[in-house]
Amino acid sequence: MVTTERQTEQRSMMAHFMRRAGFGVTQRELDELEKLDYEDVVDSVLDPGLSNHLSDELVLRYHTEVHEQRAGPWSAKQWLYRMVTTDTPIVEKIALFWHGIFATGYAKTNQARALSVQIDMFRRFGLGKFDILLEELAKDPAMIIWLDNQDNHNGAINENFGREILELFSMGIGNYTEEDIKECSRAFTGWTLKNAEYMSVRAMKDSIWPYGRISWHYEYRENDHDGGQKSFLGETGEFNGDDIIRIISKQEAAAEFISRHLYDFFVADEVPVPQWPYTPARDPEAIRILSDTYLNEDHNITEMLRVLFKSEFFKNSRFERVKCPAEYVAGCLRTSDVISRPTLLMNEAVNVMEYMGQTLLNPPSVEGWHEGKEWINSGSIVERVNFAYDVWQNSDSPEVIDITDRMASDEALDAASVVEACLDFMGPLVFTEDTTKKAIIEHVSKGGTIKFGEKSTAVRELAEKRISEVLALIASSKEYQRG
Amino acid sequence: MTNETITNRVTYDKTIGIVNNNPLGRGFAHPIDMASKNGELFVLNKHPAFTRVGVCTYREEYLREFGTYGHGDGQFWLPTGVAVSNDGFVLVSDEFHNNVSIFTVAGAFIENWGNVGSSKGELDGPSGLAIKDDGNVLVVDQNNHRIQEFSRTGQYVDSWGEFGKEMGQLNQPWGIAIGADESIYVADWGNDRIQRFDGSGTPISIYGGPSESEGSLHRPSKPAVDSEGYVYVSDWGNESVKIYSPDGDFIQSLRGEATLSKWAQEFLDANPDESSQRDISDLMPDLPDHFNTPYLISTQIESYFWGPSSVIIGDDNKLYVVESSRHRIQIYNLMQ
Amino acid sequence: MLETKQKKLVVLQLSGGNDALNTVIPYNDESYYDNRPQVHIDPEKALKLDSELAMNPSMTAIKRLWDEGKVAVINGIGYPEPNRSHFRSMDIWHTAEPTKVLTEGWIARTIRELDPKGENVLGGINFGRGLPRAMASSGVPVASVGDLDTYGLFPSVKNDSDRNDILNVFSQMYGTGAGRDMVSEFLSQTGEDALVGADILSEAPAKYSSSIEYAANPLAKSLRDAARVMFADVGTRFFYTQHGSFDTHGGELPVHSKLWEDVSTAVGDFTDDVREHGYGESTALLIFSEFGRRIKDNGSGTDHGSGGVAFLIGDSVKGGLYGQYPSLKEKDQLNGDLYANNDFRSVYTNILEDWFEVDPVPIVNGSFEKFDIFEN
Repeated sequence: MVTTERQTEQRSMMAHFMRRAGFGVTQRELDELEKLDYEDVVDSVLDPGLSNHLSDELVLRYHTEVHEQRAGPWSAKQWLYRMVTTDTPIVEKIALFWHGIFATGYAKTNQARALSVQIDMFRRFGLGKFDILLEELAKDPAMIIWLDNQDNHNGAINENFGREILELFSMGIGNYTEEDIKECSRAFTGWTLKNAEYMSVRAMKDSIWPYGRISWHYEYRENDHDGGQKSFLGETGEFNGDDIIRIISKQEAAAEFISRHLYDFFVADEVPVPQWPYTPARDPEAIRILSDTYLNEDHNITEMLRVLFKSEFFKNSRFERVKCPAEYVAGCLRTSDVISRPTLLMNEAVNVMEYMGQTLLNPPSVEGWHEGKEWINSGSIVERVNFAYDVWQNSDSPEVIDITDRMASDEALDAASVVEACLDFMGPLVFTEDTTKKAIIEHVSKGGTIKFGEKSTAVRELAEKRISEVLALIASSKEYQRG
Repeated sequence: MTNETITNRVTYDKTIGIVNNNPLGRGFAHPIDMASKNGELFVLNKHPAFTRVGVCTYREEYLREFGTYGHGDGQFWLPTGVAVSNDGFVLVSDEFHNNVSIFTVAGAFIENWGNVGSSKGELDGPSGLAIKDDGNVLVVDQNNHRIQEFSRTGQYVDSWGEFGKEMGQLNQPWGIAIGADESIYVADWGNDRIQRFDGSGTPISIYGGPSESEGSLHRPSKPAVDSEGYVYVSDWGNESVKIYSPDGDFIQSLRGEATLSKWAQEFLDANPDESSQRDISDLMPDLPDHFNTPYLISTQIESYFWGPSSVIIGDDNKLYVVESSRHRIQIYNLMQ
Repeated sequence: MLETKQKKLVVLQLSGGNDALNTVIPYNDESYYDNRPQVHIDPEKALKLDSELAMNPSMTAIKRLWDEGKVAVINGIGYPEPNRSHFRSMDIWHTAEPTKVLTEGWIARTIRELDPKGENVLGGINFGRGLPRAMASSGVPVASVGDLDTYGLFPSVKNDSDRNDILNVFSQMYGTGAGRDMVSEFLSQTGEDALVGADILSEAPAKYSSSIEYAANPLAKSLRDAARVMFADVGTRFFYTQHGSFDTHGGELPVHSKLWEDVSTAVGDFTDDVREHGYGESTALLIFSEFGRRIKDNGSGTDHGSGGVAFLIGDSVKGGLYGQYPSLKEKDQLNGDLYANNDFRSVYTNILEDWFEVDPVPIVNGSFEKFDIFEN
């Protein structure tokens, strides 16, 4: 049991890893992880297996609207329950990662369920071979409607998907020509939806009539496919979409692109993506290592992550990312351990993510969100601080009770010891300016020393209230915005 | 899964309803339960912000609505069950407010009662109700895993049941119905069965329990019982309706076969761009392999049940199936 | 006071697609009744503007302002190739760009024009939570005030003295300006801006005193918050809020009527309040929606259409009818919808050039023939 001793380096590394590979862990979970070898934990997390989470059926029964998932926030809510309660968080994290890159929004599909189906596809394929993921993406109904591929016809191409798959989803500007875009688009003709015309008109009109939304699925229309000869990235053949994907996936540009995205999301904030063609990577050596892994390990995302999580550059990257609202909100809820059954608190949590600037399942455009420090503005900082404060100053939260328990001693503790211990539990966070720590310590001192008493006594309950306030103040800090 | 029949207990009649995404007006907004009295159908809507009781008829006349979204008297937040008494009162249970509200059939609010808790007489997530012949109210106390009886004005009378999977035990029960012989049928949701109790809460039998294979249930939401004792179950987790003989033999399964209601047809008539495309579309397509659960299949096939949250035998002796995610009611004739 | 003269714009967004045909009604046109058998307004009750057009019966306060000559009605407003998706169409109005997806809003650009250094952290305020895209742009500070009385950091701390203590801690946590790296410094600066903004706004309610009793609806409450901030003279130029949902696919008549009752009473109360405090001539109110609705009803409501109506209201507005009322004749329709005859960017251009005196072209991505709605 950890009292006011500083946490071990091992524990701190585990906390860092679980923040990045998931949404954070409780002290009890860290107790277990701390006993294991770091590399073994990485391997085990990357082999998720079946996930256990708060039962979908409980959620659907309570939140009747989530059963239908007509509107975006309803689908987002189901995803948030997963993020907070799953025991395989890497699966939700990788889905969030791909969602930010293959950015698709219900603003245009109108059908939110299609986004849920896409996220589920990321769960199933997001940790595997990149080629297969791209192919599933090209067949994903939400993506088809999002980038108008149902309007991409033999003899009358629509280049939207053909362009974005090259520019935003695999290689980036400068690695293909306008001709390549056309050839690529030709190859994806016929990749459409069942009942595409009816589904399109419904999507455009946001039609829920007469009986709610009708979910979509992929259909290949042979007679609308341009099967002719094509030249793409220097190769020639009667390419269909899967051939194109095979060619794209073996390019070095694809290796570097995926590597830089993985670095940006799992290691440290890069500059915004539109600047990537003109700005070198923060750590070019790391990108090279990851690219090599991609090319040598059959384009496998799990293998890239294995190398990433075990690397020195990862271990040295604590708090080098500003948490995106999804991580921030899911992280607060998960680590405070407050969600044990369906609750309307999750409605507010989904809304507050939107007020923080991230409407889950509805990125502002196909370019996704501007991440990193751009999550922070004078409006969002208020929402972030208020939310985290409210979650942590709930002294009924199992985590607050547990943390208090860990600190409990027969002697009363002074403010400085308490604040130091809480900083460890919340990160461990290091406040870089003395003023921050001093301000909290001074504030806490006003209430005198903290006595703990026995469990379930009034003294202990008071201690829990005071500890929860310390935790809430720490959660309001600049440092807590980073993960 | 299709419509399987061993004997035809019911045949399809028609569909009524249309989705409505406004706080007022005809149509349904996540209908969760219904009741029928004197030719009027009281449909309880659970859509956040649009909760209300909508009153209509079999012939699709929309008569009135009452109850709004909120925390005050006469308002709902998470309404779950509705019942109408013989003497003209409408009762609605609310799993957020942990109470029961009473209105006249005309819609005037009378009173509400109920407090959250686990002691006798307290409620935690009431999810259904039924009114006995003597006027007392049976409330399904979901998170306390029991049934409680109150007088119409909220006086505690009795309670029975506890968490578990043995006979007489319940796991997050949902809907409730009373048979002609006053036996009580409860949708034992977490135990995938319907339990039948006598009037004093002693368990008698189960329907659709784990030993059944074809007639098995998954997270059933509500039972209904006709005058001969046949049991109809909205098999929520399987997006179907299962029918059993009074002795518990499985006899028929319905997957749903909705057609256009009058209101639906009116909408399509006013929107030729949609209806012309709909007419040439295949609304019963084959699906890719990963759409492999009844739920996922129902999201794609519009005529199938989706979210069958309640069944009742109307006072016209027809079977009504309420679908919360399709905002309609499919109606079947009983071949008695 | 300088601030009372500084021009301000209040923007009221009607979310969901307001049915223009039942807002400004061609009550003498046979085709109106032919197309709207179930969803039309009783001409006896409609508030007549002239021999052809009338306002929805719920709009009594706005009609009163019309009679005073302070309401500009812009009929047939829209943009080329109308989009009938809520999100996309609303984004188009917010970013003033129908042909491509932009993420920067027209109001944010204007705020940046008026205050390039961002010296005032309260140049634009949204009365509601979250930030409308119209006000979004990297580097432009904004505040979203859901409830003025509780706005700010740590609103859940009810005890004033406790809350002040915690705000003090926050101020020390963020106010140092220093940080271990650029991100930390940026966080410091942003936190400080937020605190300054919240501080300033927290004083607004105490300064407010008025004889106006606002109606009891959420929009009236938001507009009252806006008024209280306005009269505190903190330099806010844009006040944004919204009401809805106007997406009346079913049950339209009672729902639409109630919504306009909310809007009209709130606008009436707000305008009276603004006048009482001497801000009448420097304040203009723009009411818009992302699209209008279909000409034919669907039996109980109407579906998404195009060609809407917008309003500009204020003591410096030249009241009257602007734009053309779209024809309901079948040959004049646009696929069953009203054919818009003026671009919303014309209204924006009018506001930017004549009201705010800034160059409209970079803000609205082009030159548009402008209206002449303001008094000189």
